[in-house]
Amino acid sequence: MKIIVCVKQVPEAETQVQIDADGRWVTLGAGTEFRMNRFDECAVEAAVQIKRKFADTHIHILSIGPQRAEAVIRRSIGMGADDGTHILTAKEGFVEPFRIATWLATCPQAQSADLILCGAMSEDLMQGQVGPLLAATLSLPCTTSVVDISINPENEQVNVAREIEGGYRQTLVLNLPAVLTIQTGINQPRYPALSKLLRANRLPLEVLQADQLEQPQSYQEVERLLPPRKTRDAVFLKGTTHEKAEQLITILSNRSLLT
Amino acid sequence: MNNGVNIQTIVVIAECFEGGIRPVSYELLGFAEALQQEKPAKIKILLLGDGVKNFARDLAQTTGEDVVGIEAPHLAQYNGQVHQAVLYNLLNENPPAYVCAAHSSQGWDFGPSLAARLQATCITSVIRVSARDGKICFSRDIYGGKVSADIISKTKTTLVTVQPGAFRWNSRPKQEPGAVEIISVAIDPQTSQTISTHMHQASDLDLSQAKVIVAAGRGIGDEENLDLIHQLASAIPQSVVCGSRPIIDQGWLSYDRQVGVTGATVSPDLYLACGISGAAQHVSGMQGSALVVSINTDPMAAIFNQSDVCIAEDLTVFIPILLEKLSETSQTK
Repeated sequence: MKIIVCVKQVPEAETQVQIDADGRWVTLGAGTEFRMNRFDECAVEAAVQIKRKFADTHIHILSIGPQRAEAVIRRSIGMGADDGTHILTAKEGFVEPFRIATWLATCPQAQSADLILCGAMSEDLMQGQVGPLLAATLSLPCTTSVVDISINPENEQVNVAREIEGGYRQTLVLNLPAVLTIQTGINQPRYPALSKLLRANRLPLEVLQADQLEQPQSYQEVERLLPPRKTRDAVFLKGTTHEKAEQLITILSNRSLLT
Repeated sequence: MNNGVNIQTIVVIAECFEGGIRPVSYELLGFAEALQQEKPAKIKILLLGDGVKNFARDLAQTTGEDVVGIEAPHLAQYNGQVHQAVLYNLLNENPPAYVCAAHSSQGWDFGPSLAARLQATCITSVIRVSARDGKICFSRDIYGGKVSADIISKTKTTLVTVQPGAFRWNSRPKQEPGAVEIISVAIDPQTSQTISTHMHQASDLDLSQAKVIVAAGRGIGDEENLDLIHQLASAIPQSVVCGSRPIIDQGWLSYDRQVGVTGATVSPDLYLACGISGAAQHVSGMQGSALVVSINTDPMAAIFNQSDVCIAEDLTVFIPILLEKLSETSQTK
């Protein structure tokens, strides 16, 4: 069984984000730390768990990003994936989801996969589009927010549960090959094993230059970025920690919230 | 579907679930009307299901808009491939200017791939619409709500998924009901089938009635710190402990205590957000709260923009002091 997992490198949530002077994109604070998108980490873990059940499984990682993104491919291999392709982008900045999906779909590994796993969304841009768009590009069935996977090799099908609102779930059966987008909570991703990480760091990755791949027509554009709108007063309490605690108690008592 | 030469169409994909129209359907109408302000267009509501005639009639009555009910036995339970195929067949011949769906487990599932098939751009979790130099801008949060991005479409048709809770629809006094059309379609799901839709874990907890909610987010750090959140809840009368998705995923709180898009929508008198970053997915579940107080070490945290009172402090330092002072206050009474 050939599994593809698409992973993305994202900045830590506490990162300082500065809007560029032209208002078109952002610059991240100096010393920003990057890591694997948590949804994708769950997708890698799900693939590794399938590999444990079906020994002849091969897991190939795809990631798009600048040079630094290589780290998440190596981490995935450290978790148990076999190898990976890095689609190298020349510069930082926004790449629209349709273009990302097109680039991923041009990889022969994606075209011949039995199962493609993606995170349900990325933590930084939260678009949730790449998985379904990749499925549409490859004309494969797709389902999102997956919280349980069970492969049925005899029927070439996969049984999944997906999370919907209000504590409900749906169970589905999809014909393979299929694209699944993984919701967090499906598993607790393992830490990469040291021995595997050492191997991962030595392993040559396949590198494709993004600007040499098919460039689809642009569908959307970032017009401008703005600081988020305040929907409330956003009054910051001032003073020492003790004074802030006292002010808060006064606010709550005045509203009869402490009685 | 586009009847006039100049007048464009905004198609709204309403949702029904568990024998009713989901409230988010009306929010979509609120979005469509906001879009109409910037770009004159006719609204048409589509409702997919099996046996939707009465719902379609209700929608046409309450909203005054035209409603098309699309029926097929395979539409009884939501399935992304089926939804996408039915909508594609319906819209492909004469694609509307805009297709609006909820950013829900349905909309985010069928939206992007339907857009791809219609050669339309897809813009997800939209919270605002505006015009700038004649261009329609769809705003969405990025970087956990620290930045708002205005996206413009470059395609003839644009599919938008609208963040639940971001738009409101104001019902109008009595009006002419919209026209209702019911279409039966034949669809044979081949590559994907929905087997069941069921309650995963039933719960008696009704967060929508809570007076005070003390909510924990990823910023609490370690599981031990959850104890501080519980202590704080014990010190404030009639309060319930909840969390954002990461806390539930860790198994630190049960799933029925999750606030946000995939969890509960709450509107307590006080929402005390502890270590919550303030991503749109969470905010859409708590923005109806009367008073929002947030504690976060990061003074730039997005949650502060959605708060009345902001406390930029380390909660492991602040909460013990607050607890001490709360106990002094209650003793002096």
